[in-house]
Amino acid sequence: MRTRAIKPPRVAREIPTVVMAGVLSVCLPLPAGAQIGSVMVRSPRPFGLFVGDCFDATVEIEAADGFAPQPASLPKPGPLTYWLDLTAVSVAPGPARAGNRLWRLSLTYQTFYAALDVRRLDVPAFTVTFASEVPRATTSAVAEVPSWQISVSPLREIQPPPVADPVEYLRPESPNPRRDPALARAVAWAFASFSVAGLFALARDRAWWPFRRRAARAFAAAWRQVRRHAARRDAEAAYREALLALHRGLDRTDGRRVMGEDLAGFLARHPAYAALAQPLDRFFQASREVFFGRDPSLAQRTCPFPDLVATARRLAAAERTAKAGGRS
Amino acid sequence: MTTTRPSLARVLRRAWGPVRPVMIVALPIAGAAGALACVALTWRDGSANRAIAALEAGHDRPVTADAVPELLLARIRFLAARERLDEAEPLIAALDGSGSPALRALAQIALGNARLRQAFAKLEAGDLESATPLVGLARQAYRRALTLRPEAWNAKFNLDVASRLVRDFPERGREQGEEMPADPKKIWTDIPGQPRGLP
Repeated sequence: MRTRAIKPPRVAREIPTVVMAGVLSVCLPLPAGAQIGSVMVRSPRPFGLFVGDCFDATVEIEAADGFAPQPASLPKPGPLTYWLDLTAVSVAPGPARAGNRLWRLSLTYQTFYAALDVRRLDVPAFTVTFASEVPRATTSAVAEVPSWQISVSPLREIQPPPVADPVEYLRPESPNPRRDPALARAVAWAFASFSVAGLFALARDRAWWPFRRRAARAFAAAWRQVRRHAARRDAEAAYREALLALHRGLDRTDGRRVMGEDLAGFLARHPAYAALAQPLDRFFQASREVFFGRDPSLAQRTCPFPDLVATARRLAAAERTAKAGGRS
Repeated sequence: MTTTRPSLARVLRRAWGPVRPVMIVALPIAGAAGALACVALTWRDGSANRAIAALEAGHDRPVTADAVPELLLARIRFLAARERLDEAEPLIAALDGSGSPALRALAQIALGNARLRQAFAKLEAGDLESATPLVGLARQAYRRALTLRPEAWNAKFNLDVASRLVRDFPERGREQGEEMPADPKKIWTDIPGQPRGLP
């Protein structure tokens, strides 16, 4: 790495300004102090540059503590000369040293000089205004960044071999870039597997196939059977079967046979179904009338078939909420 | 901390209760929707690649301005190779809005190559006057390509070729190309009593 370092003489151009009370402006010639110290231009590679190449430069400006470069005075990215563009500018404070602070300007240039031979070119000089902000006063000093040289190189020989068609001088165009569907495909697979996993979780939660025989979902199975019976034509027999299905659900949930008089105990053991005490009570009444009563048609008045289906559905929902994840 | 922690857990568990039934239904649906969207993207990429292959093989395919950037570039190159640059202009504008710098640089290189081929044709016919602005346009295109992507070596090479063409014209040296710097003295020649110093 080669480093170019240019040390100009101390800059003695200061523009001190004192603004008093916002009404009176007085310019006082302050003694030419040492607000700006050395200015150094460093470039990691100022040579071997082809047309279109970018090259970096770091300008180190030593300024008195309290002085900061004015953003508006920094060079603006854009064309500088017909062959040179400035593409990026940034400024950062560096370390402090004996009352001075080192400011680093990072500049990126791009050369468009189509060289025929190796030659040196001047990168234009510029100035940066530093200002010190103290209450009621602004003192500014100008740092002059000197011009420095780069060396550009030709890409081709001066006299290329003659060709039949001058178009052959041009580089052939590269193949057209294609879309890469790999990422979208991978994400699609990820979403699909996520969806399948979610579907399995849903099926397990609702005791759908292949989790139909799940022990923790007794009421889900009962609701499924009740629904199936509700669609049958022979209402009388279907109602009996539906009642039996719900009985089996209750028995499997409790792990023992639950009769009408055990309802209070059942609800105490399974508080998740407490909200369903009334529908369950009506269900047991209807069951008693169907299986032990004289008039089975009374049962459908106590607990009509749609109510039975709704009770089964609410029981299944309460079961899902109570045994989320199948812990019990 | 010890007192808030169990209550926080209880709050979370209580909040999870009503959320869970919604989540367990919504997650597979969201997954399926995402998978469908990505499948649509994959299909779009595949059809774009087929259209690019057709354009490269010389079969014209209509391309709208909202197509994917790679397809826009393929169509721009197709039109530039056939000197239908007027049709390519809206597509270049669309690519400038949607494409990556590398693709935009390739489009500018295609544009520059087309201009330079036109200039070569004029030069072969001995029409130096009309070849010069074409070379200038080509150099502008290569320069834009290099601004977009400084490591575009084809643009560097072709810009070098174009630069030497213009330098060959004695009346317009490369030093006074399209970015001819204004001579401050000449600005005021038409004004009587020219002012001294800066305006």
